[in-house]
Amino acid sequence: MITRTAKIVNRFGLHARPSAMLVSTATKFSSEVFFTKDDLRVNGKSIMGVMMLAAEKGTELLVEVNGPDEEEAVVAIVRVIETGFGEKS
Amino acid sequence: MDDITVEKLYQARKRDLELTLVAGGEEGLHRKVSVPLIHRPGLALSGHYERFPAERIQVLGETEVAYLEKLDKAKQTEIADRILSSGIPMLIVAKGLTPPAPFLESAQGHRVALFLSRLGTADVSARLKAYLDHIFAPSTNLHGTLVDVYGVGLMYTGKSGIGKSEVALDLVERGHRLVADDVVKVTRVAPDVLMGHSSELLGHHMEIRGVGIIDIEELFGIRAIRLQKRIEVEVRLTLWSETVDYERLGIEEQTTTILGVRIPILYVPISPGKNITVISEVIAMNHMLKVYGENSALELSKKLSQRLSRQSMTQDYLESDYE
Repeated sequence: MITRTAKIVNRFGLHARPSAMLVSTATKFSSEVFFTKDDLRVNGKSIMGVMMLAAEKGTELLVEVNGPDEEEAVVAIVRVIETGFGEKS
Repeated sequence: MDDITVEKLYQARKRDLELTLVAGGEEGLHRKVSVPLIHRPGLALSGHYERFPAERIQVLGETEVAYLEKLDKAKQTEIADRILSSGIPMLIVAKGLTPPAPFLESAQGHRVALFLSRLGTADVSARLKAYLDHIFAPSTNLHGTLVDVYGVGLMYTGKSGIGKSEVALDLVERGHRLVADDVVKVTRVAPDVLMGHSSELLGHHMEIRGVGIIDIEELFGIRAIRLQKRIEVEVRLTLWSETVDYERLGIEEQTTTILGVRIPILYVPISPGKNITVISEVIAMNHMLKVYGENSALELSKKLSQRLSRQSMTQDYLESDYE
């Protein structure tokens, strides 16, 4: 299992569109993905779960990836978060 | 659940418990309540302080106040100081009674919130305990979908994308009620009761792949949803696999543990041509039958055993019949 933290940098945080992007990125891999904000831990492949985090700009998200393609997965997931989902910061 | 401040408790329950804050003020409200327990300090008032549970909320009733009123002021002050300096989170005087003056002074001095309540002592204790139990109940978030099927709370779990939401949608279409999709908040409300509900933000929204996010309440109306439901059976959806042995008899019940509560779990394989919705209804009804003391699998097995033993008796008789 790989654990990383990633900071939400885009201005409006993890709203619907970034949540969908994040979930589609996670779903491309067969590894299990979990995101944790404070004490809330949700499945990274579930759009509802990710939206429930309601993670605003500046949130340090804990990313946990576990499975056969975890290394590529964690890189891709952290990249999509830290590049602000292609939105303004 | 974490500690709560006296202020939070006061704000949440001042109407229900008819509380009036009379001493201890601002700083008293910042104290923390860390256990869901209440104590009536009868013995401590009479001088026995050993094992005094100072972490609990203290409630004084008629007996305690009547006893204190018999004492002289010096003694009242001594007792008040002793109790209010011990680190108790807060003190309630019930039944509309007024505590002796030294208690008010001491509460102010040690900055412990002192409340008066017009309710009877037993009533205050019972309502306060119910609230504390609710606040301190262990809880967690589970990835799954909770549906009320014929009054039985079925919790669907399984890998992302296996079709939990689709099963729930199908069940709603057939008149069953959705409690929460995708993220289920679970609280252990009693030693063996798990209650599930949805998060405030997500409500009764659901994601259906290929369609997007839909609102079940808007689409199907109030009859299609439920705010909370006891979780009674877990249904784990799995992809059909040749190598896994699925339950064929159902005589022995498999269980799973959520927050320390054991509930039955069924592993249901998904494969083409399987109608999980109808299977779900059967699971719910079968669970009810078991609750009412009927176990179909066991009944059939007993019948079979009886038949076999009868047959063997007849056979024994005929075989040993040398007439």
